[in-house]
Amino acid sequence: MIIPVRCFSCGKLVGDKWESFSKRVAAGEHPKEALDDVGVERYCCRRMLLSHVDLIDDILEFHEKREVVDIRGER
Amino acid sequence: MELVSRGAGGVAGLSGSGGDMVLKVEVLSVDDDRVRFLLGGVDVAFTNALRRTLIMDVPCMVIDDIFFFDNSSVVPDENLAHRIGFVPLRTDLDRYALPGDCDCGSELGCEKCRVVLTLDVAAETETRTVYSGDFVSEDPAVVPVSPSIPLTKIAPGQAVRLEAYARLGTGKEHAKWQPVSTAVYQHVAEIEVDEDRCTDCAECVKACPRNVFAMEEGKLRVVDVNLCTICGECEKACPVDPTAVRARPLDDLFLLTVESTGCLEPARLVAEAVRILSVKLDEFAGKVERGETEDVIDVYAVAEVEKARLARGSIEDVGGDDEDAVSDVGAEDEGDVDSDVE
Ligand code: SF4
Ligand code: SF4
Ligand SMILES: [Zn+2]
Ligand SMILES: [Zn+2]
Repeated sequence: MIIPVRCFSCGKLVGDKWESFSKRVAAGEHPKEALDDVGVERYCCRRMLLSHVDLIDDILEFHEKREVVDIRGER
Repeated sequence: MELVSRGAGGVAGLSGSGGDMVLKVEVLSVDDDRVRFLLGGVDVAFTNALRRTLIMDVPCMVIDDIFFFDNSSVVPDENLAHRIGFVPLRTDLDRYALPGDCDCGSELGCEKCRVVLTLDVAAETETRTVYSGDFVSEDPAVVPVSPSIPLTKIAPGQAVRLEAYARLGTGKEHAKWQPVSTAVYQHVAEIEVDEDRCTDCAECVKACPRNVFAMEEGKLRVVDVNLCTICGECEKACPVDPTAVRARPLDDLFLLTVESTGCLEPARLVAEAVRILSVKLDEFAGKVERGETEDVIDVYAVAEVEKARLARGSIEDVGGDDEDAVSDVGAEDEGDVDSDVE
């Protein structure tokens, strides 16, 4: 849904590193380089960023387009 | 066999304290959130007690109570509260008291034991992220350690308005109060190279996954003994029989790595842990002196343990091989050197 604030295993703060990490990977950078660069060392913390799927944007779409799609079928 | 090198750290003096416990410390590196140091002249029990104190007993400040006035975001109140609770805050240990130690006795605390932070964010025309940096704190010294932690996202028309009460607490109560993301120790190795038999073939240099060795002018040299994890790969790789290189754990010299979540400087964390541990030890010593230790021993638990022990004892008697069983347990204990786990 949204990036966890801290690593599940060790408690390191990882939430603040998500945006720069995901941007860099989207731009074609290798995740290893990006992880090294944002300062995430241990594999417990690395999997937090590597395996995260940011679904919140998909859910937000329902709210962003609220006026357009109305459940009663009216506009 | 001759001890050739204890490595670049020059730490030979830290190991081998003899009979008395004399604590010796050598700081290897320290930066904003991490300190690495050698602790010598102590045993596993003390080192582990220090580690556990760092994790469970050193207080730091995080948000504990939240009043929601508005949350129309897609992250429900309880999830948002949970996320906010895990945001580490810069902590001022000298100005604030643990709620249990404060004389106010108030559920939500007073200015000596809590800090109020407010979050008031609304999205007007564009979807936006609510960050930890959007918090406004009544004490500018107690703020999130990073302003860019995403808390939730809000679409146009949505808003988050809340009041959050931060207080000191310890990891014993909840993991969010754990001030360290890492507090580990490892046994420092003692690497012995038998110079008479070593052929300087460099097999161990290639085999070592931690680059402990290097060849210098055709001779084997230990570069940094503190990198060694005592994995034994060098011993396996050595073609000389019996092996010309040996890596053994020292049992009175440890390498500790303490990484702060950002709430306090790592050096301050260690200093606090030492202080808290010595207060506890003094309390315990006082109890022993006054003969009060029996109060703290749960009679029921002791009886259960005793019963289990007796039950086991009778089975062993039937088997009749008591001594072997005892020495097996001893051997297992000695072999256990990966100390960085609980
Ligand atoms: S025990 Fe392992 S880490 Fe230590 S020196 Fe030998 S190969 Fe390297
Ligand atoms: S592998 Fe053995 S013989 Fe070869 S350099 Fe290392 S210690 Fe010496
Ligand atoms: Zn981690
Ligand atoms: Zn108070």
